[in-house]
Amino acid sequence: MNRTSRPATLLAALGVAASFSVATAAPAAAQSIFDRLRQAANVARTLLPISTEKEIEIGRGIAATIAGRYPVSTDAALTRYVNLVGLTVASQDPRGDITYHFAVLETPTVNAFAAPGGYIFVTRGALGLMRSEAELAGVLAHEVGHVNRRHVINQIRKSDTMREVKNQVDIQGGVLDQLVGSGSNMLFMGLSRGDELEADSLGLEYASSAGYDPGGLAAFISRLDQHASEGALADFYATHPKPNERIERLTAIAQREHLTGGVQLVERFQANMAK
Amino acid sequence: MRMTGTWRSALLAAGLMAGAVASAAAQKAEWTDVVYVPGRWVGGHVVAQRDSLALVMRVDYFASPPRWRAEVRRTADGQTLGPADILVGSGQRAVVVTQLGTTPLEQHVLGRDPMVRALVVFDASGRRTGAASGRITERAADGTVARVVFRREVRNPDFDAALLDPGAKAGGRTLLASGISAVGDQRSASVVATAGARGVDRVQTPGGSVPVTPDTMAIVRMEHYSVGAMALEAFLRAGGLGAYAVPADTTGRHS
Repeated sequence: MNRTSRPATLLAALGVAASFSVATAAPAAAQSIFDRLRQAANVARTLLPISTEKEIEIGRGIAATIAGRYPVSTDAALTRYVNLVGLTVASQDPRGDITYHFAVLETPTVNAFAAPGGYIFVTRGALGLMRSEAELAGVLAHEVGHVNRRHVINQIRKSDTMREVKNQVDIQGGVLDQLVGSGSNMLFMGLSRGDELEADSLGLEYASSAGYDPGGLAAFISRLDQHASEGALADFYATHPKPNERIERLTAIAQREHLTGGVQLVERFQANMAK
Repeated sequence: MRMTGTWRSALLAAGLMAGAVASAAAQKAEWTDVVYVPGRWVGGHVVAQRDSLALVMRVDYFASPPRWRAEVRRTADGQTLGPADILVGSGQRAVVVTQLGTTPLEQHVLGRDPMVRALVVFDASGRRTGAASGRITERAADGTVARVVFRREVRNPDFDAALLDPGAKAGGRTLLASGISAVGDQRSASVVATAGARGVDRVQTPGGSVPVTPDTMAIVRMEHYSVGAMALEAFLRAGGLGAYAVPADTTGRHS
């Protein structure tokens, strides 16, 4: 076991590799990879950064939209439990500028969402398919990974609306509305394959570092695959990479990083679900 | 000659008056009233109490006489403010802006609330009555304090006058962006207000476009929720997590 060797370098490499594979998926005949990388670097330089403060503002609007799509649970015991598990894995996130908030959405739809700024939701339908706290931790840690990497914010930065924005102060009123709308659509339509796989990697790291069985997320994804034909999973499958690919990748990372051990806490999970 | 001078004076006076009227008409004003009543919040109700004040609402005013607009956010716990009710008026006449259009205040349910009716702080020409800034104490007929208003005027108001038009729906976003939805948390208030102003919206999903009404209050509740450091510590200890996690090679627990 080698818990002390944080896979940050590996994750960075995987992120680059994922980006590279996406970039090379549709090669432009007249351009070398170096030309395209140079162009991408130029575009990145011209994109206006979004401050943490604005990230949280945008995230609040997106979170309100998610809460409008599916009602937020008022089950106090369940909300408390999900927050405890969520905060446990979020404590492994090195970002110190974000306060995480967790909530359950009352819908049989199986899914989880992470709005920028630390607003994380898991659906009642997803909880119903879980069997252990390690699985819940894996899912929440995956969402924390999205927030850590600012996946939605980075997509928003590339939006047409942001091209008109000259500084942070401009991100308000109607502009803010448009960015919230764009971000909400991104979340409901699904992030890129590269972003999802990167969030898997980070989720694995956070859950394992917190002391959970690193197989939690993979176990949950595997169970989803057994329910693939159910309508409640339609959105999930439309917005996430194929389960087999994710499971294989998670297993490979866990083996490579010697991530073993950890607790599953099946009884505690079931006791909290039964309340 | 004397007659001519008199006429000149009269014309000058009339010109000055017209200018003053025009200037007053173009004069924008913007201020915020934070309204308290004697008492304290207990279980969603204000319990009368002489020595304390309970926050009941915040009102953001935008005026360009004779027209004005008031965005009213009430609270049910003294901690968080609800979505805005919008009044638009001319002089002392007011309408409530609804999703479907406008309704005269006296015909709307809000008009039955004396606290809301008291928000029409304008004279017939649309000029504000009362102080521009500071603490305003209003007393009942028996002399007791009925409510206390803390008023703060914006020094350089800058808003689109077209937003005072009850039909200018799109403009509401800019105005509402200046509001506050969570007391004591002004950092990101604008987005809460803005999201609330978005009203019914649509989002794209894999199954198609669906209508969504953003629930800003759910997010405010989410932000105010806390499990507490002690509870989290106990949770970690009970589960053998975090600092209480035991290395796998000494326990034999494997996935």
